[in-house]
Amino acid sequence: MSVIAGDDVHAIAEEVFAAMVDGEPGTVVPWDGPAPTWAQPLVAWVDLHGAWSGRACLATELPTAHALARALLTLPADEEVGEADLVDAFGEMANVVGGNIKSLLPVAGTLGLPQVAPEAPAAPGSRVVTEVALAWHGRPLVLTVLTVPGAP
Amino acid sequence: MRALVIDDSRTMRSIVSRTLQPLGFETVEAEHGRAALDVLEGGPLPDLACIDWNMPVMDGLTFVTEVRANPAWRSMTLMMVTTESEHGQIVRALAAGAHEYLIKPFTADAIRDKLDLLGLLPVGEPA
Amino acid sequence: MTISQQTFAFVADHVRRHSAIQLEPGKEYLVESRLLPLARAAGVADVDAYVTALRSTPHHAALGDVVEALTTNETSWFRDVTPFDALREHVLPTLRAAPGGLGRLRVWSAACSTGQEPYSVAMVVEDAAPGLPLEITATDLSEQVLARARSGAYTQLEVNRGLPAPLLVRHFRRAGSHWQVADELRRRIRFQRHNLLDAPPPGGPFDVVFLRNVLIYFDLPTKRAVLERVRTALRPGGWLVLGAAESTIGVHDGYERVPVGRGALYRSAGGAAPVQRPAAAPAASRPAVPAPVVPAPVVPAGAARFGAVPVGTQAVGAAAPARPFLPSTTGALPRAGTGTPVPTRGAGAR
Repeated sequence: MSVIAGDDVHAIAEEVFAAMVDGEPGTVVPWDGPAPTWAQPLVAWVDLHGAWSGRACLATELPTAHALARALLTLPADEEVGEADLVDAFGEMANVVGGNIKSLLPVAGTLGLPQVAPEAPAAPGSRVVTEVALAWHGRPLVLTVLTVPGAP
Repeated sequence: MRALVIDDSRTMRSIVSRTLQPLGFETVEAEHGRAALDVLEGGPLPDLACIDWNMPVMDGLTFVTEVRANPAWRSMTLMMVTTESEHGQIVRALAAGAHEYLIKPFTADAIRDKLDLLGLLPVGEPA
Repeated sequence: MTISQQTFAFVADHVRRHSAIQLEPGKEYLVESRLLPLARAAGVADVDAYVTALRSTPHHAALGDVVEALTTNETSWFRDVTPFDALREHVLPTLRAAPGGLGRLRVWSAACSTGQEPYSVAMVVEDAAPGLPLEITATDLSEQVLARARSGAYTQLEVNRGLPAPLLVRHFRRAGSHWQVADELRRRIRFQRHNLLDAPPPGGPFDVVFLRNVLIYFDLPTKRAVLERVRTALRPGGWLVLGAAESTIGVHDGYERVPVGRGALYRSAGGAAPVQRPAAAPAASRPAVPAPVVPAPVVPAGAARFGAVPVGTQAVGAAAPARPFLPSTTGALPRAGTGTPVPTRGAGAR
């Protein structure tokens, strides 16, 4: 069931970056080019449980995740971001995106706590509902919404 | 004025705190509802609590219910600050006793607007 | 892909001259993302080409769109709650207490932008005087913002800006990533394009005109001309609501300044019953305003301003005590930033 429109997911991403990361709109635009591939990927995701179960994933390059964490924590450009801060900040972005995606669903559900890893664990039977590639100040990010049928 | 900032993400706690501090708030942070109740039991009552919904140990809705069950804590203003954004969830939080509801993501201006509505903006702050 | 320095310099200069808004170097992405939709609508591949075309035609009509695209920001609903408190606590009671009462309220929301002001007025009147017939005329110079206002669809970021949560759940429903204003509110408002220097729009004479944060952009003769047109659109004794930094004093003597709450309102002189001095809130004379219902018997000052939780929740308790005209908590406040360091609990393991 395709209840989640790509336009809505894009709108959510724009709002999250405008409000949380940059403090002004317009910093995220559609990725213009071939589908991004990662050299050092980092993925943050939250699982959605309920009558509709699935997952919202935010993937990018490690240095971009560092830059995002620095922006969220208002750290200077040259300051190293610790592992715990990186995981917390990038995970919170997935959490906010995931919660807003949950609100697009016609059925009530609950949100899991965010997780962060170089790649999300395989979810058997999952299917991509929407995938949106974005450029944040020219750096690629991919936001993916999956259905995971029968997930707990 | 004192604000209690309750969120399991320290990134989010820091975003909320650094918005509140220039508006005249001294902030205390807690990473879940249970820890926040400990803060209330152990010290002076904050004027404002900013409350995430989804947290381990004790979620924000349970925290609001606990606070509203204690008459000694009634003068504290409760504002949910959460990514839960369905119409029905907002209704649930208000029915449980939350006074305001701010949806993540939010801007610093959005927090100021809510404080203005709640009468918690310091005198001299341009509305 | 980014825009050229020449494009950025031209746009920044143009916007500064027409809006006083500075686009500092580093905002190239903002210019690009805001102008890209205009470029595409014009059938041009990118922003550089679009701006080059504008530059080659002096006084190009689309230059106004460029300024608008770069200066439009989300506006608040009840931010600066003072005028809405004044409407609820002073204007409505005064109009209803006048001889003949108030059979119908006509409001003009001038320069209404994306519509937050007229919808806020409708929500306040609905709450304070349920059943009172209400006709709001909402105008703006820009068809672009009027189209958005008419649609009644707002983003999450927009509803976060000063819209009380009880009013959000009462008057809006989710529609995808947006929130949609209820049709009951929309049908009370007629949106139409209008230039403040032209004759007033139909729909008057008005009991109340909202004209906030517009006069500040005009020179003195223009301010005077606009205030004169507004005066002719107001019924005698009708109320003008200006922005906090604006006044009719020294500009137009057809209004009386009436201090209300933290601010002031302006009452159209001429033909009205003697102006009531509002030094005290009109507690004794004002008709009963429904007491807000709140989730629990005691609420912090100000928290109950917008009243009830939605229907269908069982936690509705006793009526709140009468709210002070001004939130009492805005008194003396301790300064922050002193004293103990902030204890942060736990190391954040999730």
